[in-house]
Amino acid sequence: MPARRLAWGAQRRRSFLLGIAPAVLVLAIITIAPAIYLVATSLTPLNLTLPGTAWDFSAPAANYLDLAEDPRFTRSVWIQVKLSITTVIGQLLVGLGVALLLNGSSRVRTLARSGFLIPMVLPPIVVGILWRVMYAVDISPFHRFMAFIGLPVPSLITDPNWALTAIVIAETWEWFPFTMLMVLAALQMIPASPLEAARIDGANDWQIFRFVMFPYIQSTLVVAAIFRLIDSIKAFPLIFVLTDGGPGDVTEVTNYYAYRQAFTFSLWGYGSAIATLMVAGVFVLSYLIDRLTGVAHAEAD
Amino acid sequence: MQRQIEPGPVAAPPLRVPPSRYWVQRHRRRLGDIGTVGLLLLVLFPFVWLVQMSFRPNADILGYDLLFTPTLAHYRALWTGAFPASFLNSMITSLASTVLAMVIGVPAAYALSRSGFKSSRRIALWILATRMAPPIAFTIPFFLAYRHLGLSDTLLGLIIVYLTFNLALVIWMMQPFFDGVPRELEEAAWIDGCGVWEAFCRVTLPLSAPGLAATAVICFILSWNDFFYALVLTRTNASTAPVAIVNFIQYTGWEWGRIAAAGTLVMLPVVLFSMLVRNYLVRGLAAGGVKE
Amino acid sequence: MAHPNLRVTRRQALRKAAGALFIPFTLRAGKAPAQGGRRPFEGVTLNISCWSATYPKLIADYLPEFQEQTGIKVNYDTPGFPVYNQRADLELSTKGSGFDVLNVTFIYTSRWIGAGWLTPLDPFIADANKTPADWDFADFVPGSVQPMRDKTGAVYGIPWISDVLIAAAARFDLLAANGFGMPDTLDELDKALQVVNKKDGVAGFIAENHWGWIYPAYLQAFGGNVFRNPPDDLMPTLDTPEAAAAAEMLARLLNSYGPEAAAGYSYDQVTEALRAGRINYSTHNHVFCALLGEEGSKVVKTSNFSMIPKGPKGRFPGVASHGWGIPVGAKNKDASWEFIKWALSKDLIRRLTQKHGLGSVTRKSLIGSADYKQRMVINGIDTGQLFLDSITMSEQGYMKYRTVHVYPQANAQITQALGRIISGQMKAKESLALAQANTLADLKRAGVRF
Repeated sequence: MPARRLAWGAQRRRSFLLGIAPAVLVLAIITIAPAIYLVATSLTPLNLTLPGTAWDFSAPAANYLDLAEDPRFTRSVWIQVKLSITTVIGQLLVGLGVALLLNGSSRVRTLARSGFLIPMVLPPIVVGILWRVMYAVDISPFHRFMAFIGLPVPSLITDPNWALTAIVIAETWEWFPFTMLMVLAALQMIPASPLEAARIDGANDWQIFRFVMFPYIQSTLVVAAIFRLIDSIKAFPLIFVLTDGGPGDVTEVTNYYAYRQAFTFSLWGYGSAIATLMVAGVFVLSYLIDRLTGVAHAEAD
Repeated sequence: MQRQIEPGPVAAPPLRVPPSRYWVQRHRRRLGDIGTVGLLLLVLFPFVWLVQMSFRPNADILGYDLLFTPTLAHYRALWTGAFPASFLNSMITSLASTVLAMVIGVPAAYALSRSGFKSSRRIALWILATRMAPPIAFTIPFFLAYRHLGLSDTLLGLIIVYLTFNLALVIWMMQPFFDGVPRELEEAAWIDGCGVWEAFCRVTLPLSAPGLAATAVICFILSWNDFFYALVLTRTNASTAPVAIVNFIQYTGWEWGRIAAAGTLVMLPVVLFSMLVRNYLVRGLAAGGVKE
Repeated sequence: MAHPNLRVTRRQALRKAAGALFIPFTLRAGKAPAQGGRRPFEGVTLNISCWSATYPKLIADYLPEFQEQTGIKVNYDTPGFPVYNQRADLELSTKGSGFDVLNVTFIYTSRWIGAGWLTPLDPFIADANKTPADWDFADFVPGSVQPMRDKTGAVYGIPWISDVLIAAAARFDLLAANGFGMPDTLDELDKALQVVNKKDGVAGFIAENHWGWIYPAYLQAFGGNVFRNPPDDLMPTLDTPEAAAAAEMLARLLNSYGPEAAAGYSYDQVTEALRAGRINYSTHNHVFCALLGEEGSKVVKTSNFSMIPKGPKGRFPGVASHGWGIPVGAKNKDASWEFIKWALSKDLIRRLTQKHGLGSVTRKSLIGSADYKQRMVINGIDTGQLFLDSITMSEQGYMKYRTVHVYPQANAQITQALGRIISGQMKAKESLALAQANTLADLKRAGVRF
């Protein structure tokens, strides 16, 4: 009965629209409106001690031109790049290694999986405090142990050459379970026959990994890397607790620099400009993710 | 269903293999187990160290003696300060924002799953971008706006801000769950005369209960763990537990006992909940990038 | 499978519950107005914060007394100096009511007062109902109140300290044994430390790593300044030869005569090291130096004090006042004023000096009293007099650089620049040139026109 069919179709459509409308509305208010406000603020020299600056659009590109010449900004981008690349590589390697280890079946290893999750689920501020303890020379069991065996290690987080490395170590510790879980899931989907065939042929562990396992987990590694890369841009609590951007500004990543400009010096216009550039960068990366993972749901339908 | 890959049993090795390697291969599994436990202890060492510090009496707080008489003094000291209030604030904001995100997001996820709207893909992209944007891009406009709206240092202010990531997460996570529920069941209900949403509540929701639970728990965890938004948008009345810990940082002498106790308390709910939903954790944190 | 009782209303019920939960969230923590009853402010709670100096930490123990007297409960918070400043600045910029009383930090006075973020206090002082005559506002040292006034002379803060840099030698016996008195010039200091460093296991020199506070004293001693002619000409002058010479001197003192990790000592750590006799000489705040004569100090009998040493162009002891102020958005300003009155009452301050040896107080009557003088005399030296002499010197006006409204930016750059020099990351000239460029950029961004 076509007429009834049509009415039902339209009714269904309306119901679905009703379901999705509140979400779209709320998302629009809390993401698009702030985004517009952010970009608008970045075009002003907003500084709360000078109320007149709030809607001063006389020199809209001033902040961006300033940024182009700001050595501290370019430095922060470079530090961000260093931090992101090293920590993502670290997380991939450690996550992969632990996943391979846990891939065997035994009660111990299955239980251990939950234990290895802990660094990732801890509140990041608690992770920061943990590592503050580990890096504080007079308190840390690590430092005391090294001194005990005759290889004293000086404070890392106050050493300009080691501060960033110290943060990378803490960050890798915090997030390797993410890659570990992803790789583990991928490993467990590898069919048994190629593996057994390789073993029967006498291949050693390394060859099995390189030629049999790796092709299966390759794409997982790439996806994990991209997700971790984007998340690494948000690094904040660790830096806040461990080094406060220091010593000097060797650990001042772009996110932290924006925070300082906006929340410490109250230069909201300038901070907004930095934040806008960061968002633009992240959008580009998001597009990449979409390309690679193919927005799973739409395809799966 | 996950398939277990077992390293196959090793038949009698050819004679040219040196004896030591033979032994390793034979005891492969046990060595692996020992290695696992060892690595686990090493990795969890900082975490365990902090927890044990919270029970150490102050005089000995930086000591290494493994035999010390545990004390609850730090926890008791926390109780008398402003910490319980901030703990409660964390509870309230996390619960409320989770509930809100679920209430708004679950129907949207269902609609996206079933409706076949052409703009679904664009919406999905928008949601992904929201998840990925750095918090600073939100804190600046929200901070400035809240000054005018009187939402500075209020729980409601925080709850609204948490929606920025929770709502996207709910939609992103629930959509595949709904995709996994066969349409035929709903269509049967529709034929029986049920409306779309009636069928949804009767048929789909019960079947996706595990997904709902997991999503809710992950929302809770993410809200609970938030530091940056709370640091910037709250001051005294609405400060949450992670921010309260930072108040113990005195720049000169850290009150280690209290910090350790506060840290342990703050991590407890989250660690417990995560253990419950560990199978869904990666999906949630990867915003759906992994195909199960 | 069918659940006949479930309807779409489940969603509605959830919405209702969520709505009901919201109602308490928009309310703030209870600040009930004064009800009748014995105590005028019964049931009021105040949120108060200050950085962790000696005096604020001391009054924490006396807060129950305050509650007894007035019925006001105080949520009290004393974070470290940089953390406090950032939070207070952020909070004040919202004109919010998160805090009821805040410390008005010296380097922020101009900024906060100029932006209208603090409440004028003259009405409270002048009102006889709110402030009894014997509280005596005129008793506060005028030089300490001065930074808390705006251009018209209105008062926005009541000072609780004037931080003054003096020189302290915890192990003067080592200096004396080698034929040295308290060094009068930086050259004499250098020579003395060369001989005395590491004798008896005691390191020679230390200073707290807030270089933005310590360094200008040396900078001005060499003839330099932070700005060309504050407060009118704000051109930074951090890359002058004088600035480099001063930075090199300070770095050399720390690196040649300082302990391990000399660049990492905070003000509390310096005080502890001096009191324990682990380090000998420092240019340090008077209020902390007074603690060398207090209980627990191992150097009561061996310490000596003087004004800070002269440089080629003179002696410029740093002086900075901090005070209590009321944010413009505070909800119960009368209760806030009640706290300020109590915290700076003659009675309380006297007890703090008597019981805990609190120094650098700002009430003339106390500074002149026999008790205080006696407490401030350590090992025969009248540190109270040193304090007064240094404040008198500051009336020449060399501290004007510090109350410029953009000084916090310069402060941050100076601290970083010296950090780089002392840790050996950069040479003085290079590091200061970088600080100069950054400060210039920061100042321009903050709206300063050259």
